[in-house]
Amino acid sequence: MEVVLDKKYPVAAGLDAGWAVLSNMHELATCMPGAQITEEIDATHYKGSVRVKVGPAVAAFAGTIEILILDPVARTLKMMGKGADKGGSSASMELTAKLVAAENGHSTLEGHAEVIVNGKFAQFGGRMMTSVSDMILMQFAEVFSQKAQALQGAATSAEGTGAASAAVFAAPIVAKEFNALAFIWALIRKFFADLFGRKN
Amino acid sequence: MNAPMSDREKALMGMGESRLRKEDARFIQGKGNYVDDIKLPNMVFMDIVRSPVAHARIKRINKEEALKIPGVLAVLTAEDLKPLKLHWMPTLAGDVQAVLADEKVHFQMQEVAVVIAEDRYAAADGVEAVEVEYEELQAVVDPFEALKPGAPVLREDLAGKTDGAHGKRYHHNHIFTWDAGDKEATDAAFANAAVTVKQDMFYPRVHPCPLETCGAVASFDPVRGELTTWLTSQAPHIVRTVVSMLSGIPESKVRIISPDIGGGFGNKVPIYPGYVCAIVASIVLGRPVKWIEDRIENISSTGFARDYHMTGELAATADGKILALRTNVIADHGAFDACADPTKFPAGMFHICSGSYDIPAAYCKVDGVYTNKAPGGVAYRCSFRVTEAVYLVERMVDVLAQKLNMDKAEIRAKNFIKREQFPYTSAFGFEYDSGDYQTALDKVLKAVDYKGLRAEQEVKRADPNCPTLMGIGLVTFTEVVGAGPSKICDILGVGMFDSCEIRVHPTGSAIARMGTISQGQGHQTTYAQIIATELGISSEVIQVEEGDTHTAPYGLGTYGSRSTPVAGAAIAMAARKIHAKAKKIAAHLLEVSEADLEWEIDRFKLRGNDDKFKTMKDIAWAAYNQPPPGLEPGLEAVHYYDPPNFTFPFGAYLCVVDIDKGTGDTKIRRFYALDDCGTRINPMIIEGQIHGGLTEGFAVAMGQLLSFDKQGNIQGNTLMDYFLPTAVETPKWETDYTVTPSPHHPLGAKGVAESPHVGSIPTFTSAMVDAFAHLGVTHFNMPHTSYRVWQQLKAVGIAI
Repeated sequence: MEVVLDKKYPVAAGLDAGWAVLSNMHELATCMPGAQITEEIDATHYKGSVRVKVGPAVAAFAGTIEILILDPVARTLKMMGKGADKGGSSASMELTAKLVAAENGHSTLEGHAEVIVNGKFAQFGGRMMTSVSDMILMQFAEVFSQKAQALQGAATSAEGTGAASAAVFAAPIVAKEFNALAFIWALIRKFFADLFGRKN
Repeated sequence: MNAPMSDREKALMGMGESRLRKEDARFIQGKGNYVDDIKLPNMVFMDIVRSPVAHARIKRINKEEALKIPGVLAVLTAEDLKPLKLHWMPTLAGDVQAVLADEKVHFQMQEVAVVIAEDRYAAADGVEAVEVEYEELQAVVDPFEALKPGAPVLREDLAGKTDGAHGKRYHHNHIFTWDAGDKEATDAAFANAAVTVKQDMFYPRVHPCPLETCGAVASFDPVRGELTTWLTSQAPHIVRTVVSMLSGIPESKVRIISPDIGGGFGNKVPIYPGYVCAIVASIVLGRPVKWIEDRIENISSTGFARDYHMTGELAATADGKILALRTNVIADHGAFDACADPTKFPAGMFHICSGSYDIPAAYCKVDGVYTNKAPGGVAYRCSFRVTEAVYLVERMVDVLAQKLNMDKAEIRAKNFIKREQFPYTSAFGFEYDSGDYQTALDKVLKAVDYKGLRAEQEVKRADPNCPTLMGIGLVTFTEVVGAGPSKICDILGVGMFDSCEIRVHPTGSAIARMGTISQGQGHQTTYAQIIATELGISSEVIQVEEGDTHTAPYGLGTYGSRSTPVAGAAIAMAARKIHAKAKKIAAHLLEVSEADLEWEIDRFKLRGNDDKFKTMKDIAWAAYNQPPPGLEPGLEAVHYYDPPNFTFPFGAYLCVVDIDKGTGDTKIRRFYALDDCGTRINPMIIEGQIHGGLTEGFAVAMGQLLSFDKQGNIQGNTLMDYFLPTAVETPKWETDYTVTPSPHHPLGAKGVAESPHVGSIPTFTSAMVDAFAHLGVTHFNMPHTSYRVWQQLKAVGIAI
């Protein structure tokens, strides 16, 4: 099951703050609900995990991330993530993300992702894949924007003192587990909203 | 004593009577006895570890965590089966199939390991705990991609083998090329024809999806060295032979029992890895082992049907007389060639594709191809590949009619094999036994007021504001069933005869044991009716037993509509042996010559004398207690029937659809099905069979599909996605019949269960395409779901 996504999300912060989040793999990972970096192998290789909860069942994906391009001038990140769970599902994603300047000193996060899912998730969730990926990325972008905004705010307030506290990264509340039931409910709401939105 | 003849006839409840099904009493009370109802002392349970990916190398399998789970007794992998040489097994098609994946997995949901545990729950937990490490390889799901020069090698075990079971393999993913007919004559006819048409069509992969999934209870008795296995099998004797050959246990110590079977439709013909593993596990553990697959496993890994990419061509005169037919097929057989066909026919009876038409020259070619999909290629409620063949020719005749601007009924009538041409030898060499196609077609056209329907369609087509599209589908099909004559038909070398053993007891009741096995066909009801009419014994006192290889005579089982054409004939022939002996006994009792006796319903009587007679009941008693001197006592017979030919049931079907231009939603307004299955044994059961076949045809045409993504993930292997119509979706069926008996069958019967499936599917497509025909559309592929039809509406620019 392959899904290709091209998305643009507004970031309520400038390019520098955005890039600070985008270029920090630990921070970037935690923008995704339930995801975290578990080990830094070297500067471009990481191990990570994603926990997905569906009711009482928890699926844990474990995998690797490889940074292919990290270009501070073009503010572009290209990475390859691969993972599998023990229940017979696996996924890979090649992501290219780029920050471009927008109005009001804000910026835009442009993403191109090629996601391949195999196994049980692909068998049962095929029809939902695009909407699910969409929703995950929307949540991701929201947290990303919050983090960048917080970082920019901290940097501004800390101006003159010379250091932005790393603690501000923790400012947004990020779920430790990706709650699939709540998520599916959000998906259904979005489906109906789109449906009626279109008719109008 | 001398009841009126009509009363005596009625009392028999013999052939032609709508006798109520004897099976239903137990089924509707929940008293059926299916494989999963079998519970043995000390029984353990098996579950299967399956591959999550379609194509990969197995790097490592770790059983340790699974073995730690309380209740788990054993985990078996290919490595464990290797010393027994059971990690691979032969398929019915001359290929081999991995029982448990040996170094590589070839399709998603392939069997990788089995877990045996004290209870079903522990077995499932064990499956979760087995760790398998895969190195993923590029999956190939498209047979055309598979045949490209640089395509990945799917079957490394066949590396370097250019000779397959059916001739040369020209590519590492190629299985066989099979052809029939006269290529040169056909090419010549095309070169000189005034009109030719060509159409590509895809008959998608579907699954029979019987209500009861597959399963087994294997019980090996280590003291006696005997193996008893209850199995969901449509052919228990063949299973016994194969199990004996594979295990080395003498066939006399292998007992296969097919108890009540909850639907088969071809899905329960093959021998599956689960059966083999359950048997091995029982031998290893010395305990009975039960394995029952779930729905997802059934749809994903057991015998699928169809998956034929077909190109059809017709050559004709300018006024619509067909001169030649040419077809080319790429057949996707999945990872192993486990197609269930008679051994010499890797594309089954696909060469019935000249249909009901007198076509002078014809040629067909089928290439089988490996892909990373589940193996199979079973006959889903049809004789081997006949559904594909009938779909092809009926679509092509429509396409030709459209090109010539001729009516569908007119072009068919013009090309029919005429009644006086039977027996008719087709360009492919089949000898059609009997038929009367024009009478059948005329009856249908009259019943539905065909002209009126066409007039209504004209009006609707002319009205741009009409919210619906109206389509009329018409099909006049011929099936080939009753496989088959053993000179050409065998399975693993065993000729495709069938058998019956009848024993009449001293008090005049009887038992018949058969080589077939009912999966819902109502054999217990109809077989008894045949005996009732042949022997004058009431069907109410005739027991019919099937499915236990320890008691039943050897037979090839029930599929391909073969029970009535082959086993039904065996019944008649066995009964006639008893009839002949009974006549000798009657002559002895009446002290007259056999020549002076005549048979009348339930008795032999002195010719012209109603008062001097002996009923079959009298004769049965005498057969045991006062047999004529020199005649051995008893009244029983066995007959193994090797049919001289196939039978050729036919029908004419018409369907009217109304398609909503806004949504693509399709209403089946009318479906009129006329079937001719020769002599009719039980009209009520025929009606039921036709309703069932039409409903499964509706399912295939309008919704069923096994699709795969590029990585080989199967999409839609649950009943949430896979379409099984219920009473809510199913249209109303109108049925009709004509009777053209088979001249070579002892009863004149041809078989009926599959005709409605074979015939209805192209009828639905014919109707759907007909709705778009005035817009220049000649064909679109199944399934005709609302979404796909809506896309079609969009494509021609008339969606509203």
